Amino acid sequence: MSYVVPIGPYHPALEEPIHATLYTEGEVIKDAEVFVGYNHRGIEKLCTERNAIQTLVLVERVCGICSHSHALTYAMCVEAINKTEVPKRGQYIRVITAELERLHSHMLWMGIACHIIGHDSMFMHIWDERELIMDLLERLSGNRVNYAMVTIGGSRRDIDDDLRRDMLKGCEALKTPLNKIIDIVLNDKTIAMRTKNVGVLKHEDAVRLGAIGPHARASGVKTDVRKDAPYSSYEDFEFDIPVCQNGDVFDRVVVRALECVESIKIIEQALDNLPEGPINNGNKLPKIQEGIAVCRHEAPRGQLSHMVVGNGKLENFRVSVHVPSFKNTPTIPHMLRGNTVADAGLIIASIDPCFSCLDR
Amino acid sequence: MQEYKRIDITKDEIVPIAERMRKKEIILVMIHGFLDKDGNPDVSYEYAVDTVLESYHVVGETVLPSISEIYDVAAEWPERELNELYGWTFEGLDVSKRLFLPYDLLEDEGKGQIMVKPLSELRKLNGTEKEERK
Repeated sequence: MSYVVPIGPYHPALEEPIHATLYTEGEVIKDAEVFVGYNHRGIEKLCTERNAIQTLVLVERVCGICSHSHALTYAMCVEAINKTEVPKRGQYIRVITAELERLHSHMLWMGIACHIIGHDSMFMHIWDERELIMDLLERLSGNRVNYAMVTIGGSRRDIDDDLRRDMLKGCEALKTPLNKIIDIVLNDKTIAMRTKNVGVLKHEDAVRLGAIGPHARASGVKTDVRKDAPYSSYEDFEFDIPVCQNGDVFDRVVVRALECVESIKIIEQALDNLPEGPINNGNKLPKIQEGIAVCRHEAPRGQLSHMVVGNGKLENFRVSVHVPSFKNTPTIPHMLRGNTVADAGLIIASIDPCFSCLDR
Repeated sequence: MQEYKRIDITKDEIVPIAERMRKKEIILVMIHGFLDKDGNPDVSYEYAVDTVLESYHVVGETVLPSISEIYDVAAEWPERELNELYGWTFEGLDVSKRLFLPYDLLEDEGKGQIMVKPLSELRKLNGTEKEERK
């Protein structure tokens, strides 16, 4: 008996719009298609009518979770066109915010993954610890989501000694619960039974389909923009890139859990060696010179790229935003094949998709 | 530091470059497209070669060869995005199904349909409506 099972356009767990059509044979998925585009807001068009500072505010609102990544990448593009030097202290503060964002994004996703597989106590536990990071972000920027920490040519808020001490204390307080979470993730039978050998993406398929970010690293592809093409002083920090080999949902959980530890390492190094000096180049509204720049940033979900074209005016001539989900979502049909309908929700969620980013 | 290197090519070179990059397992970062100041389509293929982003620009072409057979979905989605939103043709790309825009969008003799009407037209429309009411 073959059926066509539609899922969405409202994903049951993520509360984000994606439509997946599953062609099933009994309970097994034989083929699948995805359809996106339910959340198009015309951000790229809006950017062409705004100046650089206004665009920073706008691109931050592309996505609620990786908002700092968008602002950072856009600022990097404008700085590359204008050949602006960013003060070292400003770069470090950008890195600290980016890593805190990665921490809270990964923990949010891990919580949701546990929720989908029915391990709700773990979901609440992880989200409880995530609040520690949200508190740090709130203490740092004043906001829990759109942090507004980036300006063209540096950062907007400084880290004073009190805050630095508090943040180091916060990182220390995070370590024990995080290790406990990793311990549970690695050893818990419920999680293993529900995620091992589900939604497998083999190494050669990950390379062929062009998967990026933690999704590719779970399949053994060692790719990370922070190491491959360092930016914003990432070359100053020592950290590892966790890589797993099996490429199933379990490995995706493990990679993200281990990455949290690396992020804490980076934050501590940045806070310990915070350079003296200014944090930005003043509040002058910059013109975007004639030129084109494409910059990449390792967002929580993978490589995020912005293209900015300027023509010597205050407004952008063209801004193009392409997010990691744009590269990872096409791999979903491949992963769904051969799995059961019951696992479809988990597999779609396992790439940590962000459709508000994807549709812009 | 990340570097950006612009290289201008003709459309015949797109496929050989893609094949060369694929052999070296270099990531296709993105296929970007925009209309430049003179209104010419500018399509750029960005490859991440170590720390340098090599950007191969094809200017003034609306019919391009598709590299989706070489780079699979990593090239297919950006090409379909450009095809659906700009209307440029990629030879060899399967466009029988829609990805971003609704299925019934191109039913109107292939001309496409403007989803968001320009404000000027809306005002005109609004004006005529008022006149009709009178």
